Amino acid sequence: MANVTIYSTPTCVYCNMTKDFLKVHKVPYQEFNVASDLKAREDMVNKSHQLGVPVIDIDGTIIVGYDQPKIASALGLK
Amino acid sequence: MPYDVIIIGGGPGGVAAGIYAARKKMKALIITDSFGGQSLTSAAIENWIGTASISGYDLAKQLEAHLRAQQGIEIVEGDLVASVAKKDGGFSVVTKGGKAFDTKYVLVTSGSRRKKLGIPGEAEYDGKGVVYCSTCDAPLFGGKTVAVVGGGNSALESVVDLIPYASKIYVMVRSGAMRGDPVTQEKVKSHPQVEVVWNALPQEVIGKDMVTGIRYQDAVSGEMKELALDGVFVEIGLMPNSDFVKDLVTLNQVGHIVVDHATQQSSCPGIWAAGDVSDVLYDQNNISVGDSIKAVLNIYDQVKKGFSA
Repeated sequence: MANVTIYSTPTCVYCNMTKDFLKVHKVPYQEFNVASDLKAREDMVNKSHQLGVPVIDIDGTIIVGYDQPKIASALGLK
Repeated sequence: MPYDVIIIGGGPGGVAAGIYAARKKMKALIITDSFGGQSLTSAAIENWIGTASISGYDLAKQLEAHLRAQQGIEIVEGDLVASVAKKDGGFSVVTKGGKAFDTKYVLVTSGSRRKKLGIPGEAEYDGKGVVYCSTCDAPLFGGKTVAVVGGGNSALESVVDLIPYASKIYVMVRSGAMRGDPVTQEKVKSHPQVEVVWNALPQEVIGKDMVTGIRYQDAVSGEMKELALDGVFVEIGLMPNSDFVKDLVTLNQVGHIVVDHATQQSSCPGIWAAGDVSDVLYDQNNISVGDSIKAVLNIYDQVKKGFSA
């Protein structure tokens, strides 16, 4: 199973859509709220070189935004 | 067997058309990237008739659930239409994902996308302080100084999203007046964290690793000025998503599909359009729903008569 981390804010719809997509495909993930967790925010900026959410880290593949085809392909879904 | 109708777009208009098409037992397909349309990222929609307040995300889920409750409607989700071409007896619709479908009629409810400023630095600092989704990214600007560019409802909503976080919010308006709803204008203008910069024409987003400010021209004095900023929230309006039919139908100067407002028919027989992608006077969820239903009922009349384009 892939190691999945999502960096999000509580009001971000695309973060919720990403999490819904992961749940539907039964993919476990770790989530960091970068609105309040400044250390996680720094990690997110270092990984993605930008400051927008969501950022999804799938085994080191960094995806910015809810890009369903990219997420599916990084997870090896059909 | 071709479809009776392919509905392009999954906003409130497309979903309404899909529900009516299914209830008329038309052979219908809806192709959409996602459901909910442009309101998806709204924190609170307070003019959706029948509901005092609902988030864009919850509205999207309700719309999708209502559509999926219909028997017979076919849905392609997570894909976008790349092209529509005429062929014998109707049209061929091809998606960016490479799928192709034949249909007698087409209903375009593909809405709009955000307009960009088109100034130096904007693309360079996209995601590095330049923001297009305020509900998403406003919480990242706690204690920061930001500017919202725009004077319409989406700009005002963006300011409301930012008030709990940013310590200072400039609202840069091109002219001497805002277009947004007076109720929201009052709320925004009277807030101590908010300062409106009137007659401001943005010229360049400036920065190092991240945004450090914006250069703008005062439209009245002609003087060039600068604001020191941590973020630029761009909310300057919309561009219709009409590219894939631009060679088939008449568009107005902005790119809206020109329609007959009694039937929603475009200049090309067999293609209808409704909602923000059409040359409707007001871009509203409730209006898109009504106009899309009008369109699909008119298409149903054609199907019954056995006409094809």
